Amino acid sequence: MNVLILGANGELGPHVVRALEGRHRLRLSDINELETRHEYLKVDASDIDQVIAAADGMDVIINLSVLRKDRRLAFDVNARGCYNMMVAAVEHGIDRVINTGPFYVVAGPTYERFDHMIGPDVPHQPGTYLYALTKSLGQEICRVFTDSHDIHVLDLLFYMFLDAETHTVESGSPIANIGHDLVPYTVSWGDAADAFGCALDVELDSLPSRSEVFFVFPDLPHQKFSNEKTRRILGWEPKDKLDQFWKKAKS
Amino acid sequence: MKVLTTQASSHLSLELARSLSSSHAIRLTDRIEVSTDLEFVRSDLDHGASTNELVRGMDAIVHSGDVDPAASVSDQLDYQMRCTYNLLWAAAEEGVQRFVYLSSLRLMEGYDPALAVTERWRPLPTPDVPVLCYHLGEMVCREFARERKINVLILRLGEITAESAAGSPVSPSALYMDDAVDAVEKALDAEHSGWLDIYHIQSAVPNGRYLTGQPWWSADDVSPPLSLGYEPRARN
Ligand SMILES: NC(=O)c1ccc[n+]([C@@H]2O[C@H](COP(=O)([O-])OP(=O)(O)OC[C@H]3O[C@@H](n4cnc5c(N)ncnc54)[C@H](O)[C@@H]3O)[C@@H](O)[C@H]2O)c1
Repeated sequence: MNVLILGANGELGPHVVRALEGRHRLRLSDINELETRHEYLKVDASDIDQVIAAADGMDVIINLSVLRKDRRLAFDVNARGCYNMMVAAVEHGIDRVINTGPFYVVAGPTYERFDHMIGPDVPHQPGTYLYALTKSLGQEICRVFTDSHDIHVLDLLFYMFLDAETHTVESGSPIANIGHDLVPYTVSWGDAADAFGCALDVELDSLPSRSEVFFVFPDLPHQKFSNEKTRRILGWEPKDKLDQFWKKAKS
Repeated sequence: MKVLTTQASSHLSLELARSLSSSHAIRLTDRIEVSTDLEFVRSDLDHGASTNELVRGMDAIVHSGDVDPAASVSDQLDYQMRCTYNLLWAAAEEGVQRFVYLSSLRLMEGYDPALAVTERWRPLPTPDVPVLCYHLGEMVCREFARERKINVLILRLGEITAESAAGSPVSPSALYMDDAVDAVEKALDAEHSGWLDIYHIQSAVPNGRYLTGQPWWSADDVSPPLSLGYEPRARN
């Protein structure tokens, strides 16, 4: 498939490129310059004309663009960027969009503080945190478009990433410490990237609706969040169990 | 009561402000200069001290979800999401007690007119930009209410309609200005749940499409029955 990636030059981008290259023709884009052997376009996701032009000839758009802190840019990129992407999809007859964001697009503090077995299909409660709310608005814009256009949006949500090999003894890490637990929604970079392959492979007809949200993390024993849907529908099989973190170290 | 009203350049806001000014101290604002006899403060509703200054000392804010149809799509979306967010943050920080968001019954147009659609029904937004903007504006308001940063009332207004010559057809969701003013007056005074209160507002017209005046009722004992007390004026 011909795949446009927006925001390809961030932390996650190179992992996704590695997982997809060879199987798909990639057109990478970012607001920054990017050294790559793939086709590259400089695209500002908040500029509707640039996004429409970049999507020409593509079968799929993957959106990895994000801006977290600045109020104006967060709305521009995280929310309006999704509007631009969906208009581009309509314009070019693209029927598969893979959007991304943090878990609190769905499950902000009003869930995370209180609940367990939080799944991706609960009503969204992002709260007022800028990053969460702007990404949630973006996801909602995507959903609204899927109500009136034949476009499928798969929203892959993440919380913490780590490299299972190298994330070792950093005691005091807020993410994960060997034998001392981890954020109960953590995934290795490689496994996260593999989920994009699954989202490209899955038959659109097999999806329950045209807008589906997935929580991407391996089986963890905490039962804080649920990854069941991701495994069932996308057939995603994570390799890194991360049990060195959630099992006590042997003394 | 000191009330800030946004979108001063819109017909609705200006009419509302004029009527409310007989019983409230009104401050109008807009991103462009507007000439008016009422107090006017131009503001970009940006993230910064000037937005805090704009809302400081206000008891309530009436924020319109109408977008300027002449503005670009990007500007319309930006106004309804970012500027609403900035305004709510500033209002919460400055201790403004009440935020009235003027949304639209167009969010419910997807339902068959034969259905008894009330505030409990799920909005059905479309990618049509003005409709999408109301929905996204409501979503921003909803999260502030959820965190109880400020009391939010959402009024979903019918189609603002001038008093027409007798006999000419009116929209089944028509809302005449006197009823709109009455609803906003009531929203400024009404008892508030402390959560998020949503009300559908239209005038009494032949084949009126939306039910109004339905009190909120829940079987729990922490959110008592609540009503805006709005009743459209009877018309012949
Ligand atoms: N890294 C994490 O810990 C984490 C956690 C949860 C979710 N996510 C999600 O994963 C996705 C990828 O995140 P990441 O970690 O790679 O983020 P990142 O900040 O490392 O990269 C984001 C990329 O977006 C680009 N970008 C910014 N503004 C842009 C614009 N106007 N137009 C085009 N591109 C623009 C940046 O240049 C950057 O290359 C995002 O949706 C993010 O919300 C990341």
